[in-house]
Amino acid sequence: MQAELLVRARRLSLTLGKRQILDDISFELRRAEITTIIGPNGAGKTTLTNIVNGLIGDFEGEIERMPGLRIGYLPQKVYVNTLMPLSVERLLQLTYSPTDQELDRALAQTEVAYLKQRQVRSLSEGELKRVLLARTTLGQPDLIVLDEPTAGVDVSGEIRMYQLIGELRDQLQCAVLLVSHDLHLVMSQTDQVLCLNQHLCCSGLPESVSQHPEYLALFGQQASDSIAIYTHHHDHEHDVSGESSEHRHD
Amino acid sequence: MIEWLDDFGVRAVIAGLIMVAIAAPMGCLMVWQRLAFLSDTLGHAAVMGVGLGLLLQVQPIFGVLAVALLIVFSLSRVTGFNTALSETTLAIISHTGLAGGIILVGLLPANTVNLEAILFGDLLATTTRDLLTLLVTTVLLLFVLLHHWRSFVAVSVSREIAQAEGIEVRKVQFLMYIMIALLVAVMMKVMGVLLIAAMLVIPTSSARLFSRSPEQMVFISGLYGLGALAGGITGSFHFDWQTGPAIVVSATLLLLLTLVVTRSFKPHLE
Repeated sequence: MQAELLVRARRLSLTLGKRQILDDISFELRRAEITTIIGPNGAGKTTLTNIVNGLIGDFEGEIERMPGLRIGYLPQKVYVNTLMPLSVERLLQLTYSPTDQELDRALAQTEVAYLKQRQVRSLSEGELKRVLLARTTLGQPDLIVLDEPTAGVDVSGEIRMYQLIGELRDQLQCAVLLVSHDLHLVMSQTDQVLCLNQHLCCSGLPESVSQHPEYLALFGQQASDSIAIYTHHHDHEHDVSGESSEHRHD
Repeated sequence: MIEWLDDFGVRAVIAGLIMVAIAAPMGCLMVWQRLAFLSDTLGHAAVMGVGLGLLLQVQPIFGVLAVALLIVFSLSRVTGFNTALSETTLAIISHTGLAGGIILVGLLPANTVNLEAILFGDLLATTTRDLLTLLVTTVLLLFVLLHHWRSFVAVSVSREIAQAEGIEVRKVQFLMYIMIALLVAVMMKVMGVLLIAAMLVIPTSSARLFSRSPEQMVFISGLYGLGALAGGITGSFHFDWQTGPAIVVSATLLLLLTLVVTRSFKPHLE
C-alpha cells in the first residue's frame, strides 16, 4: 500500500529567457517519505523546490498539492541579518505563534534547546541550520522542503543532520524534499532520489540511481563506489552514537 | 490657536519630539533592511522637490513628496524588489537631484528661499502649520508600522523565509519605500535634507550595541534620539549652533560614549 499522495508534479518545464532551467520533470511526494534531489550546480534543484513551495508560479506543466498542504521551508542561503538583535526564541515566533511547549519541543527535536535565549547573530552556521530546521516543524507541516540543509556544516555534523531529518520524518510523519550534493551521506535516509540536470536523468531508489549510467556520467564511478563505503561507515557511526550521545552546552 | 504654541522654542521642542518618535522605528527598519542609503538619496533629491515646489508655487513639502515618490516608484520598477538597491544608482540619483535642485533654486528671485535651512534644517523656525503636518504624517506612519510590524520584522530577518511563509514581501517592501518618502518629506524641516539619514542611522547604531530584541532596539534608539535632540537644542539655544548639525554631532558623541562604555564592560555583551 502506498502512502498518502501529497504533491504530484507533471511535466514541469521552465524557461528563463533563452535558458531552459527545467525540462519535463514529473514526480510524486508521499507522506513520510524522504525525496532527495541531487544534481550538479545549475541543474535547477533550487528552482524545482521553489515550484513545489509555490514561490515560482510561471512554469509549464502542472502541480497538484493536497488541499490544505502545509509546507515548512529551509532556504539554501539564509542571509541572517547581523544588524538586528534577535533571539533564537523570537526567530521561531516570527510568523508562527507557537506555545512555549511547542517551541521547546521543536528546539529539542533538533538538539538545540540550549540555544533558545541566544542571539541569532552569535550562532555558528551549523547551529543556525539546526535552529532553522526546528523552525520548519512549527507549523505542523505535511511537507518539509530543505535546500542543502548541510551547506557550511562539517562532515560529522552533516551525518547527524541527516539522521535528525530522518527522525523528524518519523515523528511528524511528514514528507521531506531535500536538496543535497552528497548522495553518499543521505543515502540511508532516502526513499526516493531525483537525479536532476535540467531534465530528470533518473529517479528511484538510491541504490538503483547510484548505478544508473546517467548518474555515473554526472558524478563518476568514484562517487558511486563511495556510497558503499559511506553506507557501511554510517551504520558503524550509528552504533557508537547510540552509546555515547554527546551534548554541548556553552 | 493654542497660546503656548506661540513660543518658537516650544514649537521647536515639540517638532523635535515628534521626529524622534518616528525616526526611531523607521530608522531601525531601514538599518535592518539596509535602506539607510535610500533615505540619504531621497534627502538629497528633495532639494529638487523644494525647487520645483517653489517654481510651481505650491508648498515645498509637496514638491519634495512628489520627487521622492517618483524616485521610489522608478526604483521599484527597475529592481522589482528582487535585488538590493545599487549604490551606484542611488549615488547618481542622489547627486543629480541635489545638483538639479540647486540650479532650480538659483533660478528663483533672490531671497525667496533660504538654501541653508533646506540643506541643514531650521528647527527653530518651525511654524504651527509645519507642526501639524509633522504630527499628522507621524501618526499615519506609526499606525501603519504598528499594523504591519510583524511583517516588517519578518521581512527584515529573511526575505526568503517571510516569502515562503506567506508574507507578501514585495508589497511590504513597496509600502516601506512609500513610508520612507513620506518620512523624508516631513523630516526635512527639522534636520535639513543632508542630515536626515544621520538621525535615522546614528541613534540606531548606538541602540544596536546592547539591544536584545527588535522592539528593544527601537525603544533604545528613541532614547538616544531624545538625548541627541536635547543636546542639539541646548547647543542651539546657548551657543547659537545650527540645530540640525548640533543634533547630529550630539548623536555621534553619544554613540562614541556608548562605544567606550560598552567596550569597558565587554563581558556584559556576547
